[in-house]
Amino acid sequence: MMERPLSPFMFPNWYRFQITSALSILHRLTGIALAVGSILLTWWLIAVAAGGQVFAATHAFLASPIGILLLFLWSVAFFYHLCNGIRHLVWDAGYGFEIRTAHLSGYAVLAATVVLTVVAWLSVWLI
Amino acid sequence: MANTRSLSNATALRDENVLRRVRQLGSARDGLAEWRLQRRTALALIPLGLYFVASILRLAVSDQLTAAQWLSSPVPALLTILFVTALFAHAVVGLRSVLVDYVHTRARLVAAELLVRGAAILLAGASVLAVLKLFLGR
Repeated sequence: MMERPLSPFMFPNWYRFQITSALSILHRLTGIALAVGSILLTWWLIAVAAGGQVFAATHAFLASPIGILLLFLWSVAFFYHLCNGIRHLVWDAGYGFEIRTAHLSGYAVLAATVVLTVVAWLSVWLI
Repeated sequence: MANTRSLSNATALRDENVLRRVRQLGSARDGLAEWRLQRRTALALIPLGLYFVASILRLAVSDQLTAAQWLSSPVPALLTILFVTALFAHAVVGLRSVLVDYVHTRARLVAAELLVRGAAILLAGASVLAVLKLFLGR
């Protein structure tokens, strides 16, 4: 039997780039990333409850450059998944299916992600 | 379609009962329950997630006392427990839909699903227990 490429691997060669499909894939990827990242969330909750050395090690990791980077990426993934999730809920309600609207809402999601991320981190550092 | 809608309005039946009556196109089983769980948890996670993330970005690098004090006060403790519960329920449905798309062998699908569900229950349970310990032990 011939080994034929399946849908996601059609991307670079056979499919033209479209923001709608790109955002759809990004929704799944950020969803998976957030699910994996929630392990760290649980770990942090346990560390706070346990205190002592467990917390010290967790805190050292989170406050390190890699820890801050992870937190930053986690927040970007969260805000993207949140905004695009709301876009999905609007679709579920039956609105916004016109191609033009779907493109516009896609760019709006990207813009909202940037704004929310910037506002969130500015508030952490400034307040 | 219009028929289904008017039936639903007239009898106030639950959607799944209406769908069950639709010939050929309707769901016969409980796929709708999962669909609905995904949407309900998504709705719940909008306010819960915004609240939790706004708090956590600051607390993630704070000292233990500050974090423990926050988690042991009633409102943050309750909302954190609700957030974690909705989060892992939402994650299970989402990860399952990915697995169903890409795992094509029945045995592997069942194994992967069990793994995801088991991990989610373990993580959710551990998170709730951690918050409860802080809340009850304050």
